[in-house]
Amino acid sequence: MGKADFSNPEYYYNRELSWILFDKRVLSEANDKTIPLLERIKFLSITASNLDEFFMIRVASLKDMDNAGYKKPDIAGYNPRQQLKLLNVATHDLVKEQYDVYDTLVEQLREKGIDIYKDDSRLTKKQAVFADRFFEDYVYPVLTPMAVDSSRPFPLIRNKSLNIGAIVRKKEDATQDYEFATVQVPSVLPRIVEIPNEGTEGKAYILLEKIIERNIDKLFLNYDILSMCEFRVMRNADLAIDEEEAADLLKEIEKQVKKRQWGEAIRLEINEGADSRLVNILKSELKVKREERYSIAGPLDLTFLMKMYDIKGYDELKEKEYTPQPVPALIDCTDIFEAIRKEDILMHHPYESFEPVVGFVKTASTDPDVLAIKQTLYRVSGNSPIVAALAEAAENGKQVTVLVELKARFDEENNIVWARKLEQAGCHVIYGLVGLKTHSKITLVVRKEEDGIRRYVHLGTGNYNDSTAKRYTDVGLFTCKEAIGEDATAVFNMLSGYSEPAGWNKLSLAPLWLKDRFIYLIGRERDNALAGHQAHIIAKMNSLCDPDVIEALYEASSAGVKIELIVRGICCLRVGIPGVSENITVRSIVGNFLEHSRIFYFENNKKPEYYCGSADWMPRNLERRVEILFPVEQDNLKERLKSILMTELNDTKKAHNLQSDGTYKKMSRARKSISSQQIFCEEAFSVASKAIEGTDKNDVMQTRRFIPE
Amino acid sequence: MATKLFAAIDVGSYELNLKIVEFGPNGMREVDAVRYRLDLGTDTFSTGKVSIEKVDELCRIIGEFAKIMKSYHVTEYRAYGTSAIRETKNTHILIDQIEQRTGIRIDVISNSEQRFLDYKSVASKGDDFDKTIGKGTAIIDIGGGSIQISLFDNDKLDVTQNMKLGVLRLRERLNNLAAKPSRHGALLDEMIGAQLSVFDKLYLKNRKIENLIIVDDYISPITLKRTMDSDTPGFINAERFEAFFERLKVMNAVEFSRKYSVALENISLVFVSAQIIRSVIALTGAKTIWCPGVSLCEGIAYEYGESKKLLVSPHDFEEDIVACARNIGKRYMSDDKRSQTLESICMTIFDAMKKRHGLTERDRLLLRISTILHDCGKYISLYNLATCSYDIIMSTEIIGLSHAEREIVANVVKFNHRFFDYDATVSGVEHLGEEAYMKIAKLTAILRVANGLDKSQKQKFGCIKATLKDDVLTITVRTNKDITYERGMFEMRADFFEEVFCVRPQIKHINKL
Repeated sequence: MGKADFSNPEYYYNRELSWILFDKRVLSEANDKTIPLLERIKFLSITASNLDEFFMIRVASLKDMDNAGYKKPDIAGYNPRQQLKLLNVATHDLVKEQYDVYDTLVEQLREKGIDIYKDDSRLTKKQAVFADRFFEDYVYPVLTPMAVDSSRPFPLIRNKSLNIGAIVRKKEDATQDYEFATVQVPSVLPRIVEIPNEGTEGKAYILLEKIIERNIDKLFLNYDILSMCEFRVMRNADLAIDEEEAADLLKEIEKQVKKRQWGEAIRLEINEGADSRLVNILKSELKVKREERYSIAGPLDLTFLMKMYDIKGYDELKEKEYTPQPVPALIDCTDIFEAIRKEDILMHHPYESFEPVVGFVKTASTDPDVLAIKQTLYRVSGNSPIVAALAEAAENGKQVTVLVELKARFDEENNIVWARKLEQAGCHVIYGLVGLKTHSKITLVVRKEEDGIRRYVHLGTGNYNDSTAKRYTDVGLFTCKEAIGEDATAVFNMLSGYSEPAGWNKLSLAPLWLKDRFIYLIGRERDNALAGHQAHIIAKMNSLCDPDVIEALYEASSAGVKIELIVRGICCLRVGIPGVSENITVRSIVGNFLEHSRIFYFENNKKPEYYCGSADWMPRNLERRVEILFPVEQDNLKERLKSILMTELNDTKKAHNLQSDGTYKKMSRARKSISSQQIFCEEAFSVASKAIEGTDKNDVMQTRRFIPE
Repeated sequence: MATKLFAAIDVGSYELNLKIVEFGPNGMREVDAVRYRLDLGTDTFSTGKVSIEKVDELCRIIGEFAKIMKSYHVTEYRAYGTSAIRETKNTHILIDQIEQRTGIRIDVISNSEQRFLDYKSVASKGDDFDKTIGKGTAIIDIGGGSIQISLFDNDKLDVTQNMKLGVLRLRERLNNLAAKPSRHGALLDEMIGAQLSVFDKLYLKNRKIENLIIVDDYISPITLKRTMDSDTPGFINAERFEAFFERLKVMNAVEFSRKYSVALENISLVFVSAQIIRSVIALTGAKTIWCPGVSLCEGIAYEYGESKKLLVSPHDFEEDIVACARNIGKRYMSDDKRSQTLESICMTIFDAMKKRHGLTERDRLLLRISTILHDCGKYISLYNLATCSYDIIMSTEIIGLSHAEREIVANVVKFNHRFFDYDATVSGVEHLGEEAYMKIAKLTAILRVANGLDKSQKQKFGCIKATLKDDVLTITVRTNKDITYERGMFEMRADFFEEVFCVRPQIKHINKL
């Protein structure tokens, strides 16, 4: 029997279709009756913002390729046009599901006393007065209605903006032809407006566009409004920057971010049942094809639902907020450097607080013995305490080097602001390497101590963003091991424009040789299996679509390696193919916290190795980004990582298992319900409590708190 | 012991290097290192000057180095420029530019100094170095323009020789020949073999070489990377190297680049470097190859550490220089016994005159070398001894000595055989400066007096003592032989000694009988 051709397209799943399945898994959370109602609303909102981004980047990219006549098939054998066709069906299906769930949730919300009016037909007199006054006082002054005629061309409709289109005709002449008019629903005002709810304890809301529609005649005084509808346009939003030619990358990105508003229209959402004249005008002016039109049986742009989550007075409809626990090794810690010298420290966020990482930078910024602080910033929070600490460090005379990745998609403007602020404070700001996004998460603090220079390093799988650190799962490591300190120094020297060092100790970097490293590690398991030794891989990541890595996994599986993958999102690998992937299982965990950590375990014939890193198994990570993979070598920390992986493999409540037909299936109800995220919360609380016992009892009040049900 | 930080900067032909090194109780430790590719060599070697654009970039990078040094609060540094800076026509202008724009002063070192520092960089590897040179060892230092092969015998440097077989130079020659790529290997073999065969006849002879130490920019990083996880990183055996070389010959450049993480544009240089090493392995029969992965910066730091007594080197580098000098002397049929006698006398006088001469330990070494080479010119001419000795020394690289130091030695040897030229212009030492002029005068005075004491070249004295009291240097000689001739020759040279030091030397003869 010949060797299987592991590059056979039949063994791969299309990346975009796989992403749709991921969004469906998120949608399934919105459909899960065991989850509190407002949490389900939040999930539904997330599927909507996910889908928006998917269109603006992925679908747009496919369209670009198709327009350019690019026909090269992807790893699953589909060319761009074929993918667009398949996606068209899948996305329409997903959108329909979204609105089915929306209808269900709105109904359930009403039962709980949160009433979202579909339109103005249910407004009482008092409510109508309120709505109209609201319109006059707040909305009317900021509206810019635009009519389209021979002297006024069709306006540029901004990307993602919600608009009301209308067919109008001049009042004095009924024989005249109709005209098209449009007004953008202002994004500076809240989308969802609370209106007085008489006689009941609950709350009532109406959408802003409904208030506008109710008063639209005030915008076109001399016109009759023949029909109207809401519409929304999605445009190609990927930046096209030639970094080689851009003399000033910062200015170029600022320019391109502005242009994002006017990319090619790739999706048109419009109310179901809209006037066909409206539909035709929009179709023609925006140049969208039939399959790119989405008739929506509900309010457009469901991202407004995220605002619903913040409603006061309905805590019973939400999960109790989890407060990240203190990191046990740092409880009662007065000197973080001393703690790190004692031993390496592993943190598991958001179960454990991100505060120590912020504190690490803050402490370094004022420590007189610290000579230099270096950090990569990919996505930072607004008013980031880390950015403030870095600026302070520079003002205190320390050498501060910050690599700000300007090309963090949709965070470009945010990052430009922080870059400028840091430069003004005296930091040396680097904008990364031409053609590569710096995605690694690393901080280096160089300190002059009594016995010489010591380097303290933080490496992580998540961004230096204290806000997302409360919502995403990630792991981070503090260490002052010389081998890693040397490598960290070399990383920043390389990012500053210097040559690669002659050798590396512990860290593996992309795009240098990280991919080769992974393929080597997988290959080593394969060789061990062939030699009759124990061979096992457990890998947790966000996405898996690199064909070389998948091929290596297939080879390993066919040699007998047991491979357990925890892949949150896209997975182009197919399971259950005889002779190819029988030994591979894939599960996706979608829960309250966004699974974001990347952890890798290789059995290595009874000498297990654990790695964490910033890279997923995607070509963009392994070949086009600066990423870091770091080993975790301290025995107790290896045990911890093992425990994390095993707990996730035992999750029966939030895990979706990939089937051989490409679909995902949750565990049946008969089994014991285990939520890995819940277990981590409980464990973190328990461990922190035990660690605090025996310390000042007053401190207990600082630690906390509520455990999710 | 408190720790001390030091910065070493190397401005090379195609790369700038900065290393921040920490000296502490455990010796020398690298704290930071940056490398920046900047091709200065092409400009220098082709046009004779570094272009303005390159100067700007050079200043920018050196300025960045200065900032890095400042961030570590480093106050002491040494910055050396090698061949590209040394051979450019406007060296002084260039150095001044750099200093004015960055505050960093670059000192230009000779090839022999550079190679000696490279050698010290290997020595900085401590145990591995001591272990390796215990057996017959050759260090092959491969640069862009030339290579230096140094042979060790019983852990002492014995011979060192420079050959114009650098990787850039060989690649340039190959390109000029416009031969088919399939012929490159054989052509390189011929080019390298021609010079190595001379080296073999002159120096290798029947020497047993077990270990080869490689100092280079291409093979060393690959070897280190491939052996990182082994018990002996950097060490491979000759068979493994041969297997690597065979793979290098057949693999295409892109494949090789990917597999070994080497930039595509450097593949040809990797090949040339590998060919050189392979040829030396074949010539010497070495079994083990060690790539310590060092650079000039380590040597610079090591030397600094030694000079400031921040680290104690178990290896006597001075003896290596002396050993090389002896080898040069041997080449020119110097009388070993005579040289040793003369050396002994000179050192005795030098040490006795410490309070008066104002010379340093380094000058003592120069005097030693002068005594070893004092009559090398006899190989060419007995009549024109002074000029021939001077010319031989000036034409020979003495590892560890700067060009200026070599010129001092050459002049001391010259004036040992003829009258001292007081006019610096006439004697050709004006460019060396006043300090060097005085050194030449003082060392010459000592050597001439010592030479006078053994004029018969019969090494009549068993041992001598010298004591300085008031303004008289009494040299006590114990022998039962007739020293009339020596006394006469001594008296003739004593005048110059008295003139230079205001000390009158006199002989006190104690007849053993």
